[in-house]
Formats: sequence, structure tokens, C-alpha cells
Amino acid sequence: MLLIRCPHCGNRPEIEFHCGGEAHIARPETPSEMTDQHWAEFLYYRTNPKGMHAERWQHRHGCGRWFNALRDTVTDKFAATYEMGSPRPDLAATPAPARTA
Amino acid sequence: MSEISVKAVHAFDGLITPVGETRPAGVVVSERTELALAAVLARKRRAGDLAALVANEFGCHLPAPARRTEGRDISVVSTGPGAWLACREAGGYGFAENLAETMQGVASVTDQSDAFAVLRLTGPRVRNVLAKGIHLDLDANVFLPGHAAVTQCGHVGVSLWRLDDLAGGDAAFEIAMFRSYAESFWHWLSVSAAVYGLAVAAGG
Repeated sequence: MLLIRCPHCGNRPEIEFHCGGEAHIARPETPSEMTDQHWAEFLYYRTNPKGMHAERWQHRHGCGRWFNALRDTVTDKFAATYEMGSPRPDLAATPAPARTA
Repeated sequence: MSEISVKAVHAFDGLITPVGETRPAGVVVSERTELALAAVLARKRRAGDLAALVANEFGCHLPAPARRTEGRDISVVSTGPGAWLACREAGGYGFAENLAETMQGVASVTDQSDAFAVLRLTGPRVRNVLAKGIHLDLDANVFLPGHAAVTQCGHVGVSLWRLDDLAGGDAAFEIAMFRSYAESFWHWLSVSAAVYGLAVAAGG
């Protein structure tokens, strides 16, 4: 069972959570002035990295709150979880999870 | 015009019945029909005031996340950031009303007495049964009396808290779910507990 640390409830089983896609994507303040290309990039273009990825998660079957998480897309290990509105943690300060060969 | 008669029906009426070998039973269930419930949501930036008010009025701490506290004539379960479930034995419909008055301006209070069905589960095998539906570590030394969780049990969303052990040493849990899930939950419970024997104690 994969445990995910909800910033409010602590470690909880994975099945209580729901992933909401990439984090830190701010809605443009003046959409009407944007080109279709830039609007499409806001709506659909995602980084999809191999490695550390900032994602939105929701503790859907617990406290119900959304939060952000840094997850390694290769190992599925969570490096950090942090509250909505706080900046992405500095990974140099947070050691990345060890990769297995 | 025909007469309309309204009869109070408890959530587990017609469902709650002994299952398997019950002499002795591994698990004992009872429905908490007389427990009055109210959702308490702290108003913006008033959580500190709410904590002071609860300490003053009821003589208990406002519980930290994943905890439950007991005060004078009330118990409070943490259900999320800034959210609590307040319970009073035999509190009736007046409970939420009185609480709303007491917490005026500090918290929003909503009656939940008829929204949730609450079961008390005890017995020597209660953890074996809960382990079949709940993915939390409910070990006696990890999930202590006074601990609480909002989670899922048999895919039904529940609030769960552990009470003080019974005099005989058996652990005691109370589990609250949305009332309309009573039948689904009972199906899960009756099937999961059948192997240990599920006895029914008087509700209240």
C-alpha cells in the first residue's frame, strides 16, 4: 500500500486520494488578449517529465482538501507534499528519492 | 383524505441482525440511535476563538486533526481542517440549535443527527473485521483511544473513532456513515464479520 502524506491528515493510503494533474498552472489574467496558440498551451500543454513532477492531489475520501505534491514519475515515490498556495519546495533542500536501476 | 402517519425509522432498522456463531461472538454491533450530531465549521480566522469557546463551555480541547476529545456532555471529532463533528448523547434536535447559539459568529453549525448512521463495534475480533474494509493501521498501539479518521470502509465513506477499551479489555470503535449507505455498509459488515460471529447489542 502506497502511503501519501496529506498536509492536514498525515500519512494515508493511496486509495483515499485523487490526482488532479500538473500543479502550478496559473490561469492567464487576460485570456481575450492571448493568441489561440498561447491559450491552447495554457489549456492542454503539459510538461509530462520523466522524473520529479509537481502535481495537484486531493484527499478525496478523507478531509477533502486539495494539496500539491512532488512525485517522481519513474519510481512513483512522493518527495514532498505541501499546501495549496505554497511555492514548489526546493528539491536541492529536499533530497530526491533514490532511483533503482 | 387518508390519514398520514409518520414513524421514526432508524437507519439500520430491518438490517441489523446477528450473523454466524454468536456464542461467543467475535464482534458486537449496536446502533447509536440516540446520538445527536452536528457539523461545526470554524468561521474564517476564528478557529482560535472557537477553541477558547469549546474549552470554556465544555471543558475540552478542540481536537487536533485526526483526534477526538470528550468534554462535559459533548464529544468532538476532527473531520478536516477547520471542521468537526460534535456529538451529544440523547441530545435530540435541540443539540445543534443550542450549539449554533453558543457558537454564534465563531462557527457554523449544522444538524447532522439524521444525516449519519452511527454504529458501535466492539468484541475481541473487531480489528480483524475492520482490517477487511479499512486501509488504516488500527493496531492497538497506533490507533489509540481518542484517535479518529475520515476514511473509507468497504468503499463507503466513514468517520471512525476509537473509544476507551471496554471493562473486559475489548477495543471499541464508533463508525459514522451517511445514512443512505447503511444497507451497503451492513452488507459489507455482515459478510466480513460472519466468520467471527456478529452479535447485536441493544442500541441507544
